Amino acid sequence: MTSKPKGNRFGFKDLGIGIGLRTSHYPHILSKWPKIDWFEVLSENYMDTGGRPMFVLDQVAERYPVALHGVSMSIGSTDPLNREHLKKLKGLADRTKAHWVSDHLCWTGVLGRNTHDLLPMPYTEEALTHTVKRAKQVSEILERPLVLENPSSYVEFAQSTMPEWEFLARLAKDADCGLLLDVNNVYVSSFNHRFDPVEYIDAIPADRVVQYHLAGHTNKGTHIVDTHSDHAIDEVWKLYGHACGRTGPVATLYEWDENIPPFDVVVAEAQKAARFRRGLPR
Amino acid sequence: MRLNHLQKWMQAVVVHPGTTEQALRSPEAERLLSARKIATVLLASPALSPAERIAIYQEMYPLRMHDALLADYPGLEHFLGHRFQELVVAYAEAHPSKDYTLNRFGDHVPAFLARQRRFLPRPFLVDLARLELALTEAFDERESPTLKAGDFEAISVSRLARTRLVTVPSVRLVSLEWNAGDYLDSVRDENHHHPKPRKEPAFVLVFRRNYAIYRLPVSAAAFALLEDIVAGRPIGVAVQRALARRGLKRASAEDFSRWFQQWTSEGVFGGVKRQDSA
Repeated sequence: MTSKPKGNRFGFKDLGIGIGLRTSHYPHILSKWPKIDWFEVLSENYMDTGGRPMFVLDQVAERYPVALHGVSMSIGSTDPLNREHLKKLKGLADRTKAHWVSDHLCWTGVLGRNTHDLLPMPYTEEALTHTVKRAKQVSEILERPLVLENPSSYVEFAQSTMPEWEFLARLAKDADCGLLLDVNNVYVSSFNHRFDPVEYIDAIPADRVVQYHLAGHTNKGTHIVDTHSDHAIDEVWKLYGHACGRTGPVATLYEWDENIPPFDVVVAEAQKAARFRRGLPR
Repeated sequence: MRLNHLQKWMQAVVVHPGTTEQALRSPEAERLLSARKIATVLLASPALSPAERIAIYQEMYPLRMHDALLADYPGLEHFLGHRFQELVVAYAEAHPSKDYTLNRFGDHVPAFLARQRRFLPRPFLVDLARLELALTEAFDERESPTLKAGDFEAISVSRLARTRLVTVPSVRLVSLEWNAGDYLDSVRDENHHHPKPRKEPAFVLVFRRNYAIYRLPVSAAAFALLEDIVAGRPIGVAVQRALARRGLKRASAEDFSRWFQQWTSEGVFGGVKRQDSA
């Protein structure tokens, strides 16, 4: 399957193939200014520091395209939105000229507490209405479309009335959100919940996909944990190729967050995406 | 179950410090869902029961808290060894994160340790935690320009006494009763030559220059003078007080020039304010 460039409805650029900006790579980046298409930046790591991380990010943002990726928006939580967090997030997005701002379809805590985990939503009409309303509010505050990522998950709720892919597609449409399609997360959840990952990907509105995530995971036998600690497996690359066949080339990011190897190793893994960006190789 | 109840229940289970069975039977969780009814909320997978599935989240919670505290307190972790995780669990229970970032999650560790009896020797651990907290605070402070020697020398003698020195935002003053600084120096010693905890008063000036953190041991007299400067006392007042102190905290007239030159060249000062411009 091959595809021509299609673009997304938001006009966000295909930034090419990038990797996450990680502390252990700072010395390499600052000394070499290596050739790489773009960096994804973990928002919360830079929102409350005036020290070295911000110093590095300012320089990176001057030289490379960046997109912000957060873990604490808690878009599905029944707690009120944290407007202080959103205000700082907007400030960081403006400062770095971020191409877009993404977070996860999840909740991270309630009762004022933060578990710092990406906890899954039940896929119900109540949860959908709730999340759509909040996603619209966030987009207004950020003054840009919110981009949401599909989570990896380890539990399924008995009360869910629709599959995750339907929830995500309806959320994106009703809240006018972009989607960050994490292909590894689709694979992880498909293993954990025994669904067909191709059916998931085929149900995602292609014109709302503005970014892909790829990563490695840890297979525990009974379930898979999304550890971002390794190379991506072949099945994930094939799913990515299948997804690209629907969307055309879209900005792609390789995540490596545990046992992070040298910069060049992460980049080499990310560059495997080049073979698949126009669809599955023949 | 309504969404808000579902989230409260799941959080109560995930953050519980005991086993998953204990978490499901805790009053916080059972108030919202009887442990016997877990299958009405969570589905089993072919390989895992509902309890085993939520256990995946519950087991990851203390590991995340561990990583966050380890980043800020490598010395404490090194000293406590396997008992560091016990500290993490107890601390996260007493001071759960309520912020969108884990950056300042560990801010209460020194005060928490001061209230504990199970981690010993307590005063040494409190000192070690206070020192490590000062280092993380300095790391995250905003960057600001530093006072140059020329700026200092440009102040006329008649105005100098009424001038206040402003330290850069990263400056932290830490007085220690125990040898926490020596221990922290030894943490990366590959041969594991670590000093035993012992009472040994020390005074430390923590600051950041060019995005690197420094720990400068200073004398009791210099430390007392720095405390006055940080408190906003004019140079003249701070000097008078330094000369009037007794014992180790007393400074001599020869000390001032050396100290101010060193601190200025180190980048400890960010500017000056004349008293009448306050």
